[in-house]
Amino acid sequence: MAEDHIDYSAPIGDTATTTTCYMCACRCGIKVHLKDGVIRYIEGNRDHPVNRGVLCGKGSAGIMTQYSPAKLRKPLKRVGERGAGEFVEIEWEEAMQIAISLLAEIRRTDPKKLAFYTGRDQSQALTGYFAQMFGTMNFAAHGGFCSVNMAAAGLYSLGGAFWEFGEPDWEQAKLFLLFGVAEDHDSNPIKLGLAKLKERGAKIVSINPVRTGYSAIADEHVPITPGTDGLFVMALIHCLLEAGKIDADFLIRYTNAHYLVVEAPGAADHGLFARDAEGKPLAFDRKAEALADATAPGIAPALLGEYELPDGRRARPAFALLAERYLDPEYAPEAVAERCGLQPETIRRLAAEIAEIAFNQPVVLDQPWIDTAGRRHETMIGRPVAMHGMRGISAHSNGFHTCRAIHVLQMLIGAVDTPGSWRYKSPYPKPILPGPPPAGRRHLPDGSLPGGLLGFPRGPEDLLVDEDGEALRLDRAFSWEAPLGIHGMMHMAIAEAYKADRYEIDTLFLYMANMAWNSAMNPGETNRMLTEKRENGEYRIRNVIYADAYYSETVAYADLVLPDTTYLERYDCISLLDRPIGSAHGPADAIRHPVIKPDRDVRPFQDVLIELAGQLKLPNFVDGGGRPLYKDYPDYIMRHERRPGVGPLAGWRGEDGEAAGKGAPNPDQISRYIENGGFWRMHLPREQLYFKHANKAYLEGAVSMGFIESSDQIVLSLYSEPMQKFRLAAEGHGGVVPPERLRARILSGFDPLPIWYQPLEQGQVDRQRFPLFAITQRPMAMYHSWGGQNEWLRQINSENRLYVHRGTAAALGVADEDWVWVESRNGRLKCQIRLMDGVNPNTVWTWNAIGKRSGAWALAPDAPESKRGFLLNHLISEYLPGERHSNSDPVTGQAAWFDLNVSISRAGAGEAETAPHFETLPLPPNFPKAPTSIQFGASPLRKPVPETAS
Amino acid sequence: MKPASSVLLLTTLTGAGYGLLVWLGILDLAGAVPHAPAFGIVAILIGLAFAGGGLIASMAHLGRPERAWRAFSQWRSSWLSREGVASTLSFPPALGFAALWFFEGATAPATRILAALSLVMALVTVGCTAMIYASLIPIRQWHNRHTLPDYLIFSLFSGAVLLTAIMGVWQGHVILPGSIAAASGLAAIAAKSAYWRFIDRQKPLATLASATSVRQFGAVRPLDQPHFSENYILREMGFTIARKHAEKLRRIALAAGFIAPTILALVATLGLAAWLSGPLAALLALAGLFIERWLFFAEATHVSAIYYGRPV
Amino acid sequence: MTSLPQREPGAKKLGLVIDLDTCVGCHACAVNCKEWNTGGHYAPLPDHNPYQDQPDGVWFNRIHSYETEERTVNFPRSCLHCETPQCVTVCPTGASYKRAEDGIVLVNTDLCIGCKLCSWACPYGAREFDEDNGVMKKCTLCIDRIYNESLPEAEREPACVATCPSRARHFGDLADPESKVSKLVAERGGADLMPELGYGPVNKYLPPRKRKIAAPPLQSACGEAKPGMNRLLALVDKVLSR
Ligand SMILES: Nc1nc2c(c(=O)[nH]1)N[C@H]1C(S)=C(S)[C@@H](COP(=O)(O)OP(=O)(O)OC[C@H]3O[C@@H](n4cnc5c(=O)[nH]c(N)nc54)[C@H](O)[C@@H]3O)O[C@H]1N2
Ligand SMILES: Nc1nc2c(c(=O)[nH]1)N[C@H]1C(S)=C(S)[C@@H](COP(=O)(O)OP(=O)(O)OC[C@H]3O[C@@H](n4cnc5c(=O)[nH]c(N)nc54)[C@H](O)[C@@H]3O)O[C@H]1N2
Ligand code: SF4
Ligand code: SF4
Ligand code: SF4
Ligand code: SF4
Ligand code: SF4
Ligand SMILES: [Mo]
Repeated sequence: MAEDHIDYSAPIGDTATTTTCYMCACRCGIKVHLKDGVIRYIEGNRDHPVNRGVLCGKGSAGIMTQYSPAKLRKPLKRVGERGAGEFVEIEWEEAMQIAISLLAEIRRTDPKKLAFYTGRDQSQALTGYFAQMFGTMNFAAHGGFCSVNMAAAGLYSLGGAFWEFGEPDWEQAKLFLLFGVAEDHDSNPIKLGLAKLKERGAKIVSINPVRTGYSAIADEHVPITPGTDGLFVMALIHCLLEAGKIDADFLIRYTNAHYLVVEAPGAADHGLFARDAEGKPLAFDRKAEALADATAPGIAPALLGEYELPDGRRARPAFALLAERYLDPEYAPEAVAERCGLQPETIRRLAAEIAEIAFNQPVVLDQPWIDTAGRRHETMIGRPVAMHGMRGISAHSNGFHTCRAIHVLQMLIGAVDTPGSWRYKSPYPKPILPGPPPAGRRHLPDGSLPGGLLGFPRGPEDLLVDEDGEALRLDRAFSWEAPLGIHGMMHMAIAEAYKADRYEIDTLFLYMANMAWNSAMNPGETNRMLTEKRENGEYRIRNVIYADAYYSETVAYADLVLPDTTYLERYDCISLLDRPIGSAHGPADAIRHPVIKPDRDVRPFQDVLIELAGQLKLPNFVDGGGRPLYKDYPDYIMRHERRPGVGPLAGWRGEDGEAAGKGAPNPDQISRYIENGGFWRMHLPREQLYFKHANKAYLEGAVSMGFIESSDQIVLSLYSEPMQKFRLAAEGHGGVVPPERLRARILSGFDPLPIWYQPLEQGQVDRQRFPLFAITQRPMAMYHSWGGQNEWLRQINSENRLYVHRGTAAALGVADEDWVWVESRNGRLKCQIRLMDGVNPNTVWTWNAIGKRSGAWALAPDAPESKRGFLLNHLISEYLPGERHSNSDPVTGQAAWFDLNVSISRAGAGEAETAPHFETLPLPPNFPKAPTSIQFGASPLRKPVPETAS
Repeated sequence: MKPASSVLLLTTLTGAGYGLLVWLGILDLAGAVPHAPAFGIVAILIGLAFAGGGLIASMAHLGRPERAWRAFSQWRSSWLSREGVASTLSFPPALGFAALWFFEGATAPATRILAALSLVMALVTVGCTAMIYASLIPIRQWHNRHTLPDYLIFSLFSGAVLLTAIMGVWQGHVILPGSIAAASGLAAIAAKSAYWRFIDRQKPLATLASATSVRQFGAVRPLDQPHFSENYILREMGFTIARKHAEKLRRIALAAGFIAPTILALVATLGLAAWLSGPLAALLALAGLFIERWLFFAEATHVSAIYYGRPV
Repeated sequence: MTSLPQREPGAKKLGLVIDLDTCVGCHACAVNCKEWNTGGHYAPLPDHNPYQDQPDGVWFNRIHSYETEERTVNFPRSCLHCETPQCVTVCPTGASYKRAEDGIVLVNTDLCIGCKLCSWACPYGAREFDEDNGVMKKCTLCIDRIYNESLPEAEREPACVATCPSRARHFGDLADPESKVSKLVAERGGADLMPELGYGPVNKYLPPRKRKIAAPPLQSACGEAKPGMNRLLALVDKVLSR
C-alpha cells in the first residue's frame, strides 16, 4: 500500500530573526521564521533571559495579529460626528500638518492644554521626555490605572516593588505566598518560576477569591474576601509578633525599625524621626546607654522602650510603635477572620508555617559578601519565604497600605533580597526615594519642564497644587487627592478634561490605550464625554488625536488617527529608563527591530513623535540651529543621552561598544543588539546576588553603571516618614496644607505604619442592595482588548460569563448559563452566568476586556464578543458616589477597579444578548473584507489572510 | 451521535434490499417462488436497486468520494472495508441468480446454486454493516450483543415486507411472504423493545474521574471548555436528544414501522387488497425503519463527549 | 496498514507526559501546536468564521478545566498514541496507521477518504476533521520536529513541549524505563485516561498534588494583658548590634 510521505527534516522557513514579542507587556524573546516572505512560525528564543525559550498562547498567535484584517492602513481624518466612525483617508503630510499646527499653537499659548496619555506602549522614556520638553505636566502612562499601588508602596518601603522591580527567588524559596495574581506582566517568568517551585517541592499558597490559573495549581488556596488582604496580613503579623518570631537582626541592620520616632502630639515633628544636628536619625544604643546615630554600624539599638531626647521630649523606636499596633487584639485572627471570609485557624496555621520555614529551615549559601559598613559575612543567610502580589492588592482603594503591610511582613521575618525570599530585579534597589519630585510647577526659559513629570514627592512641599491646595495637573495626581500619584491617573484624564473645572484641555493626544472602552471606567459615560459639545457647537474636548495600530473602539472617537506599525514592523526599545526586563541575576534591556515590511501606509509612532518634536523645535530634539537632532527612533535610541553617558540602551555603549551601562553613544549599538538576539544582559557576580540594598560590591557596581547616584546603604522603610509628613500637613503644619474637604481623609489615610480600612466604595453604597463583590481576571490567552482581533485567540475567548458560586446561585435562584442583570450603583448590565465552586461565595467575577463594541476590531457585527461578551467596566464609575473624589486609592490615585459591589437577578425572557449594546461601528475606508475561512499555511502557497479591498 | 441522513438511508435501504435478496434466495431454494421468469428479474433488480442506492447514498458521507475505491483494501481489519467488499461481491451472484432464473427457470440447479450464493452474500453484507457499529467500543449503545442480530432481523423484516409488496402487486395472493413478513415483524418488535430496555439500563462507559485520571480530590465537575463554539467532535459526537422527544419517536417508529406493517402484512395474507396493503406496509416499514435508524444514532452517546460534560 | 503493527519487544513508545499538578491552563501548548502544524506536515489546520460568529477551527490540542472539591484542574487533551487504538483498525483505507518504529499514530492524508470512522472509534475525541480538504488530521507528535535534522538537537521536541511555560509537558520514550518520562511516571504515579476501554494510551497524566508544611503551632501567650509583648522583650533583650 502507498507509503506516507513525511518530510522529516523540512527547514522551518527561509529566514529566522530574533526580536522581542509584543503580544503583551512581558517582553519575551522570540524567533520569527519567514517562508516566502510570510511568517511561518514564531517560537520562544531559548537564549532570552525573560522566557528562556517558552512562549505563551498570545505570543504563539502573533501570526494572526500580524495578518489581522483590523490593522489600520492609512492616516484617517474624521468627517462625520465624533464617535460615528466616519473617516476619510489622508496623506501623512496632511496628518502631520494638522497635528503640528494644533500642537504649535498650544505650546505657544499654554502647554498644559496638551494632555498626552499613553497606554500599553513601552516607550515611556521617549513619550515622557516629549511631554517634558513640550512643557505639559499633563502626561501619564497606564501605570495609574494599573498597579501604582504596588509600585508606590514598594518604592517607598523597599526601593523596589512587586510591580516590575522584583521577583521571588524561584531557585531557593520553600514557601511562596501569592497575593491576588492571575497572570501579571511577568506572564512567562512566573509560570517558569512556579514550575521550579513545584519541581523542588516548595509549597505555593495563593491568596485569591478565585481558584483558577495559578491559584488552581496552588498547594493551598485561601479564598479571601476582596479588599481584606490588609487585615489578613496584619493578623499574620500579629501572630508572629505574639510568638516573637521575627528577625530582629535583620530589622536593625537593614530597616529603620530602631529609628526613634518623636512622640509629641501636636508638634510639627510629631511622628517624624528624631534627628541629630546633622540631621542623622537617632537610635538608643543599649551598649552605650545613650542616643546614637541610628545609621552607625556597631551600635546596639533598642527596638522597644521609650527614651528621652536631648530636648526632653519622649521618643520610641519605630518598631515599638509597630509592635504595639499589631499586637492589639483587634488584629488577632479571631477578630479579622470572619471579615476576610476565612477561618482563624487557617491564619494561625499559615503564620506558623511562615515561622517554621523562615526560622527553622533557613537557606544558607556559602557565599562571602561585604556589607556597606565594610563588614565581611562568610555566608548568605536567607529566609526562604517568598511573596508576590499584584492587582488583587493594588486595584482596591486600600491597596497602597495593604501592599505596605505585605512589605512590613517581609521585613519582620527578614525576607527581603535574601536567598529564598523576594528579590530586587536589577537595576533595583534604588534609594528611598528613587528620584526627584515631579516637575510641573515652573517652566525653563525654553518652555520645557525642568525634570521628570512622574516623580517622587518627599512631602507636601513637592505636591503639584495651587495656593488653595487644588490640583495643578488635569488628572489630579500629586494633589491632595492622590499625593503619591507617581504614575499619574490616566483613568481620570477624559473625565477631568470633560469637567474642565480648573482649566480647559485643548487637545487630548492618546497613544496605545483603548480609553474609550476597556480602560475606561464606565465606557458609556466616557463616550458621552468625548462626544458632548458646548453651546458654540465645539466639542467639550476640542481635539482628539489617537495613535493606534488597529481598529479599536477608541479610534472612532478621534479626529485624527495616526496609524502605527505592528510590533514586527518597527524598532522599539525596552529601556532601563522605563520598565526594564532585568532580573535578580542582573540588568538587561532589549529592542525590537523590523522583521517584515508594512503592506500599508503606516509609520512607527515613535518616528512620528520624534518628527513632531523636531518640527515643534522642542529642546533636546533640535540642535542650536533648530535642525532636528534625530532622523528617526533608532537614531534617537543610539544617540540620545539622558545624562552624560546614559541613554535608552545600556548595552554596547562607548565608541568601541565595550562599555556597559554608562558610555558614549555607539553608532552600531543596534546592530550589536541584533547580533545578540535583540537583547543585552549582564550577569552579576555571585557575591552581588543578594542583600543588594546593603551589598557594597553591588551598590558600587550600580553607581558605576549609572543606575544610582550613591552607593550608600538603602535603609528599608518599615516606618514611612514621608507619609507622616502629609499627615502633619493635614494637622495644619507647614506651608502646604490640604483643603478642608480632604483633611480628614489625609489624617486617617497617611499613617506611617500600614492600616486597613474598608474599600471606599463599600463604605458608601447600600451593601444590603449590592451584597456581592465583583472583580475581573486576566485571561491567560488574551491580552486586554487587542487580543480580540486575533482569530486563534478569539476561538478560546470569544465570549465571557459571569462566574458565580454554586451555593450563592442556588440562594439567588439562578442556574448555570442563565441570563442575569448585574446591577451596581452606577448602572446595570445583562450577561450569562456560569456556576463554579472555587470562588469566594460573596464574589462574582469575569474575564477582563473580552466584550467588544459591535463592528470594532473588524469583527462581524454579530460577533459573539459583542453579543455574548461584556465588560464589567459599565458598572464602575470614575467617581465615588455623590462626591468629587475619584474612585481611587487616596494615597496613590490607583484606580479602584475591584472595589465594585453588585447585585444579580435573573433576566426575564428577552433577547439572548448582553447589554448595554452600542450601535455597530462602520469599517474605515478601504478596509479588507474579513475572510470567512482561512487555510493559513496551506502548502505550497503559504498565503496570509487575503486582503482584498471591499 | 449525529444522525447523518446519508448513513441512515444507506443502512435502511441496503437492509431492505438485501433482506429481499435473502428471502428470494430462501424461497427459491424452497421452490416457493412464482415461476414466471420476469418475476425473478424484477424482484432481484428491485433488491439490488435498494442495496446499490443505499451504497451510493453512503458515498455522500465521504470527504473524498473520488477515493472511495481505497476502502476495499483493509478487509483484514476493518468492518467498513469488509462491508464494501461484501456488498460488491454480492452483486455478481445476485445478477447471475436473476439471469439464470430468467433463462433456465427458477428451479434449475444452477439457479439454485446462485440463489444460495446470493442469499449468503446478502446476509454477510448486512452482517458487515452491523459489525461496523457493533465493533465501536466508545459507543455503548452500539457496542453490544443486540446490534448484529437486530440489523439482521430488521433487514429480513423489511425484505419480507418488500417481497410481500412486490408479490401483492404481481399476483395478489401473498400468504407465504405475508406470513413471513408478519412473523419477522413480531421478531423485530421484540428485538427493538429488548434493545431499548437494554440501553436504558446501561451504565456510562466512563466517569469524568477516569476520563481525566483525577481521582484523589473528590467528584470532578466540568468548569470551562477549550472553546466556546461547537467543534467537529461535538457536532459529530456530542449530539444529544431530549428523553421525552426520544420516547415519542420510539413510539412512532414502533407503531408505524413495525406494528402497522405487521398488521398490514397479515391483512394482505388474508388476500384483502394485497396490491394495496403490501406496498403500504413496505412504505410504512421503510419510513419506520428510517426513524428507528435515526434513533439508533441520536440515542447513541460517544464517550468522548464526557470531556465536554455531555451525557455519555 | 491498519492492522496494528507487530512491534518488537522494547520498541520505542514515543509519547507525552502531562503534569496536571503544574498545568495552569494557559493554552500556550494548544496555540503553539496550531501555529506549528498549520504550516507543518498536516498543513493547513483550517479555521471557519475566523472573524464572525461561531469561530471554529482544527486544533490538535485543546485545554479543558475541571473542578474537584479541593482543586481546580486544567486538562490538556490531544492524541494519546494508544498501543491498541481502534482508530487504526477500523480504517477501511489504511490511511490511519500506527508506526512500528516509534508507535506514533498517524493519518496518511493521501489515502484518507474522510469516512470519519476513526473519529468514531477514538474515545478521547482526539481526531480532527479538516472539512475543507475532506480528510482526517490529528496530533502527529510533531513528527516533523522530533526527527528534524535541520533543527538543533535540543529543539527536536514537540512544539507544545518546547513552549509550555510551566513545564507541564514532557516528551520521550515510554518504553525505556530509564527515560526521563518513564521515571516521572514511576515516581509520580502517572496514569492512563479511561484505562477500562483497553486502548492502552501511551501518553500519561501526572496527578495533582497538595503539599503540606509540618509546623508546630505558635504558642500564643495566653492570659496577660499585652501578650506577646513579653516574648518580644525577651527576644530583643539579647543585645543585638548593628
Ligand atoms: N494574558 C494576559 N496577561 C496580562 C494582561 C492581559 O490582559 N492578559 N494584562 C497585563 C496587565 S496590564 C497587568 S496590570 C497585569 C495584571 O496581572 P494581575 O495582577 O494578575 O491582574 P488581574 O488579572 O486583574 O488579577 C487580579 C487577581 O487578583 C484577584 N483578586 C481580586 N481582588 C482581590 C483581593 O481583594 N485580594 C486578593 N488576594 N486577590 C484579589 C483576582 O481574582 C485575580 O486573580 O497582567 C498583565 N499581563
Ligand atoms: N474592569 C477592568 N478594567 C480594567 C482592568 C481590570 O482589571 N478590570 N485593568 C486595567 C489595566 S491594569 C490596564 S493596563 C488597562 C489596559 O487597557 P488598555 O490600555 O486600553 O489596553 P488595551 O486594551 O490593550 O489597548 C491598547 C490599545 O493599544 C492598541 N495597540 C496594540 N498594539 C499597538 C501598537 O503596536 N501600536 C499602537 N499605536 N497601538 C497598539 C490596541 O489596538 C488597543 O487599542 O485596562 C484597565 N481596565
Ligand atoms: S508573555 Fe506571551 S505575549 Fe507576552 S511577551 Fe511573552 S510571549 Fe509575548
Ligand atoms: S502550555 Fe503547559 S501550562 Fe499551558 S495549558 Fe499547556 S500544558 Fe498547561
Ligand atoms: S487517542 Fe484516539 S486517535 Fe489517538 S491513538 Fe488513541 S484512539 Fe487513536
Ligand atoms: S477518515 Fe480517513 S483515516 Fe479515518 S477511517 Fe476514514 S479513511 Fe481512515
Ligand atoms: S505533539 Fe505536536 S501535534 Fe501533538 S499536540 Fe503537541 S504540538 Fe500538537
Ligand atoms: Mo495594567
